[in-house]
Amino acid sequence: MGKKSPEAAGRRRRMMYRALALMLAAVLLLPLVPYAVAYVGGITNPNPGADLWRQVRQRETPPEVRTQVRGVDTGVLINARGESWRQFRMEQLIPWSGWFLGGMLVAIALFYLLRGRIRIDKGRSGILVQRFTVNQRLAHWFMAVVFTILGLTGLVLLYGRFVLIPLLGPEGFSVTAAACKEIHNLFGPIFPLAVLLILFYFVRGNGFRGVDFKWLAKGGGLLGGHASAGHFNMGQKLWFWGTLLFGLSLVVSGLILDFPVFGQGRPVMEWAHFSHGIAAVLFIGGAFAHSYIGTLGMEGALEAMTHGTVDANWAKEHHDLWYAQMEAEGKVGAVPGQEAPASSGSPETAGG
Amino acid sequence: MFLDFVEGPLWYAAAAVFLVGVAWRLAAIARAGLKEDLSVPRTAGAPGAVATVFRRFLPHREFMRPAAFQMVAGYAFHIGLFVLVLFAAPHVEFIEQRILGFGWTPAPHWVFLLAANFAFAGLLLLWLRRMLDPVLRRISTLDDHIGTGLTFVVMFTGCMALFESHDFLRALHMLFVDLLLIYFPFSRLMHAFTFILSRGFTGATMARKGVSA
Amino acid sequence: MARMKFLCDAERCIECNGCVTACKNEHEVPWGVNRRRVVTINDGEPGERSMSVACMHCSDAPCAAVCPVDCFYTTEDGVVLHDKDICIGCGYCFYACPFGAPQFPTAGAYGSRGAMDKCTFCGGGPEPDGSAEEFKKYGRNRLSEGRLPLCAEMCSTKALLAGDGDKVSDIFRERVTYRGIGTLAWGWGVAYGKGGVRQSSGLGGKASSTKE
Ligand code: HEM
Ligand code: HEM
Ligand code: SF4
Ligand code: SF4
Repeated sequence: MGKKSPEAAGRRRRMMYRALALMLAAVLLLPLVPYAVAYVGGITNPNPGADLWRQVRQRETPPEVRTQVRGVDTGVLINARGESWRQFRMEQLIPWSGWFLGGMLVAIALFYLLRGRIRIDKGRSGILVQRFTVNQRLAHWFMAVVFTILGLTGLVLLYGRFVLIPLLGPEGFSVTAAACKEIHNLFGPIFPLAVLLILFYFVRGNGFRGVDFKWLAKGGGLLGGHASAGHFNMGQKLWFWGTLLFGLSLVVSGLILDFPVFGQGRPVMEWAHFSHGIAAVLFIGGAFAHSYIGTLGMEGALEAMTHGTVDANWAKEHHDLWYAQMEAEGKVGAVPGQEAPASSGSPETAGG
Repeated sequence: MFLDFVEGPLWYAAAAVFLVGVAWRLAAIARAGLKEDLSVPRTAGAPGAVATVFRRFLPHREFMRPAAFQMVAGYAFHIGLFVLVLFAAPHVEFIEQRILGFGWTPAPHWVFLLAANFAFAGLLLLWLRRMLDPVLRRISTLDDHIGTGLTFVVMFTGCMALFESHDFLRALHMLFVDLLLIYFPFSRLMHAFTFILSRGFTGATMARKGVSA
Repeated sequence: MARMKFLCDAERCIECNGCVTACKNEHEVPWGVNRRRVVTINDGEPGERSMSVACMHCSDAPCAAVCPVDCFYTTEDGVVLHDKDICIGCGYCFYACPFGAPQFPTAGAYGSRGAMDKCTFCGGGPEPDGSAEEFKKYGRNRLSEGRLPLCAEMCSTKALLAGDGDKVSDIFRERVTYRGIGTLAWGWGVAYGKGGVRQSSGLGGKASSTKE
């Protein structure tokens, strides 16, 4: 067969053209296939963003971020902790602390009704014993004044929205809250000085000893009878150490909140607020009880902090071991440069 | 309204009472004159007067320890108050616009508030000590407590107004400033001026007698 | 009533910061304050994405919940606004806000911050619409003039969308359908409740919701 028919040659050429056209079409169309399929809804494209979105939520490590805007936390897209902070402040701190502080007041009122004022059983002897020096009293009242200012202004910020807006209206409360905020922020840094003074002047005599646990076991004589105690009883020692502990945590957290100038971000601020709020509320509750027993709750106690002296009978009943020691050292009745307190209660004091 | 009053009429009245009162008190002291000093002059009095005005800024060496508290708390209060009265931005602005017609560079906000911290801590400690120390309590009169109390309230209301967004708080501060100015010439707050006279007098007398005091 | 929402399409945002500039210029916001910012993730690497962030005008706004002086209010359009005369500059809204929207003119010692400033959805504040006083505190009130936020209008790629939530999600859904990827309206779950764009516009698909 040597010779090709023109017919066959034409068919071949046509086939070639068709193949070329098909290939061309394929080249052009193939890349579109995924789109076509995707359009129909067949293929699940791996979402290149999926990992990214998880990062944005910052469940794991914070992603590499960059922004032209300078400032604290500007690189954080979503602050997931904000929500838990909100929950803590609005649904736990405010209502629970309200119950706690209110409960404290009710408990104190009940205690007063049931137990009444704790009197000096044997009455006043008229003999005085020096209990606190001028410096100790100075440190105490300095702390009491600064604490009261900080506590009141802090509570206004905490409960004002619910308690004071209905009374003062939004504008009136705004004025109050602005003033309280500035006072709180300004007096905050004075508080560490008060804590230091308390530490310095009261640490002696506040170490725990064996009798303290017996005192505790006896309920401190709160419900009747008297428990043995040295210069300070267990309740006072706990209050002293509590003052230092809560004081320290309030100072640290408070200063972090008060000086947002070191670039600390929201997680740090929120953490500081957690501990500030909790410590403040517990501390204030303790102060209620302390102030009660120091004034109305016990005859003959307040003058220890105002005039620095107590009646010998008071000392015998409440701090027998200390009294015995003072007697042995010949210090009972020897009160240099002191006038006797006028009567039971004592007038001008600085504490509030 | 309230603000206009305490920064307007009341402010002018208070400033007038302050200026006239202080001038009157100083004039009264000057007019009372000095008793003729008959002692034999050993050295000139004037240099001694000047020296004592400055030397008394610190207690005598022997009294350094007993007076340490008064010195530390006293300086914390007075220096703090000085900085805060003269270098707080709102005060400089008030002085420029309402008193002198010119001002100076105010301290940064944090310096102002740090000064306030020192002033508050010092004043509180001094005041409490006045109430607690048996001797100090005896020699204090109502005037001391009113003067200290007014100063405290002026500082306290000033601190309440720090947010600078409510005229009411500013007016409250100003009200107590006015009251303080009115009270000033008639009280021991006058020591801000008279300390120079009393120290100078002592210094001159002692120098004349040849005593280094 | 419309429910105003922002949506930033991360597949489109090219980090030109046009929205940031537009906002600053339109409202003459105080120095140091940026009501809007663009954040870029994995900058310069494969998978880089940028997003424009400002106040999202949340449905159950955390800022409003924690504010101690209760100075926030939500307009009929769902825009979250606040009253600077009442604000005491405590910073609590900034701690609670998921998006870091509240800003403060100063951040100094002793907690001095000044009154809070944030995106108003170009909706001004409590003062009379369009008044000079309103402008001074909150910037332009474009909504009262019948206009939408300028940032979104200026956006060159139309990545940033602002307006009625249903319309915005319609537009976005259409886009996603065409390109097949990026069905995530980031931040919607956090700002407007569970489900985000999927719930409000019936989008199914592979996108992870922003809220698990
Ligand atoms: C070093 C001392 C302290 C500092 C620096 C400090 C600072 C602060 C700051 C910055 C805040 C945030 C409020 C704001 O910015 O307006 C705050 C809140 C608060 N502080 Fe203090 N504080 C101190 C001591 C105390 C003490 C002794 C108490 C209680 C007796 C207290 C009770 C509170 C309370 C109740 C709040 C309100 C929390 C809230 O509203 O959620 N603080 N404090
Ligand atoms: C505001 C009302 C307050 C009153 C009426 C008051 C009264 C008293 C009295 C009478 C004493 C002497 C007790 C004794 O004779 O042993 C005392 C001791 C003491 N107070 Fe207060 N106080 C007040 C507030 C505070 C506050 C706020 C703090 C600390 C934050 C504080 C810390 C102490 C400490 C550390 C002692 C030493 C003895 C002890 O541990 O009980 N007080 N207080
Ligand atoms: S984005 Fe932030 S500032 Fe805006 S409404 Fe939500 S919580 Fe409030
Ligand atoms: S900074 Fe202002 S708006 Fe924010 S929570 Fe505090 S008072 Fe409210």
